[in-house]
Amino acid sequence: MFTKFEHFVATSLMGSPEEAPPRRNGHLQFDRDWEKLAFGIAIALSKQGHYEWEDFRQTLIETIGEWEATHDIQDPEWDYYQCWLAALEKVAIASGVIEDDELETQIKQLLDCKAPSIP
Amino acid sequence: MPSNYPGFKHGADREAVSAARVKALESLLIEKGIITGNTVDSVLGHFETKMGPFNGAKLVARAWVDPDFKQLLLADCNAACEQMDFPAGMSGAEGEHMRIAENTPEVHNVIVCTLCSCYPWPTLGLPPYWFKDPTFRARVAREPRVVLSEFGVELDDSVEIRVWDTSAQIRWWVLPMRPAGTENMSEAELAALLTPEAMMGVAQVSV
Repeated sequence: MFTKFEHFVATSLMGSPEEAPPRRNGHLQFDRDWEKLAFGIAIALSKQGHYEWEDFRQTLIETIGEWEATHDIQDPEWDYYQCWLAALEKVAIASGVIEDDELETQIKQLLDCKAPSIP
Repeated sequence: MPSNYPGFKHGADREAVSAARVKALESLLIEKGIITGNTVDSVLGHFETKMGPFNGAKLVARAWVDPDFKQLLLADCNAACEQMDFPAGMSGAEGEHMRIAENTPEVHNVIVCTLCSCYPWPTLGLPPYWFKDPTFRARVAREPRVVLSEFGVELDDSVEIRVWDTSAQIRWWVLPMRPAGTENMSEAELAALLTPEAMMGVAQVSV
């Protein structure tokens, strides 16, 4: 029995080298701010019961598997947290927490705001 | 399934899209009242401040300054954890038995494991990638002295090397030797000297 959900999550993620998150000197390694956000949201949603952690894990494993099947193993484009984010979007939509359409709209709005204005 | 945004595929563009995707998700969830601005910080805080190599470092530093505590740590690691101000779940509540092997001038200990999930990470932090590498495990068992020297741990031939296989039943870790020249250091200063590698037995503590 795990007394802390975070403890259970970290233990489950250590199951295989592919699925385990990047880490450095005993700590999780986040190179970009959005990675932290994606990591925290995935755990928070499961902790709140919106989906089983195992569903997220399996989706992450599948997403990584799909990437590996379509890329060279040495491909420098490999990015663990891109896979994590894709898996998070899939489970968030599948569990009904958010709608596919509203996420698309929100992303477009954010990107349009940041894009330089064209005269 | 979110689209891939043709034209936004590489480098800085891809970064901007990734950041926007997460931000969009977060803002929708906040809008819906599912999470708050603090939810993610609270989850991350757990990993950053409650579990990690600093817990092992505190145990070792206490053992270096307090012989009674050291005896307890060696005899019953979980009981020693209970004496510390650690968060719940750190002291064997999950049925995880931790044992610590003491390095001495005569014996040097090193841990290996067959599954990363068996690593004593609440005290040592998350395991490094190479730790689970089958080659590393096989080589440590076969030629520990060579592997340790590759890590920069040069041991005299007279020092016996013991290799411990950490498992789901017993999660081993290492009590390093206190380095010379630290006699006047405080417990906190001593804790700051410790690294996860030292508590795995693949590094020595230096000042």
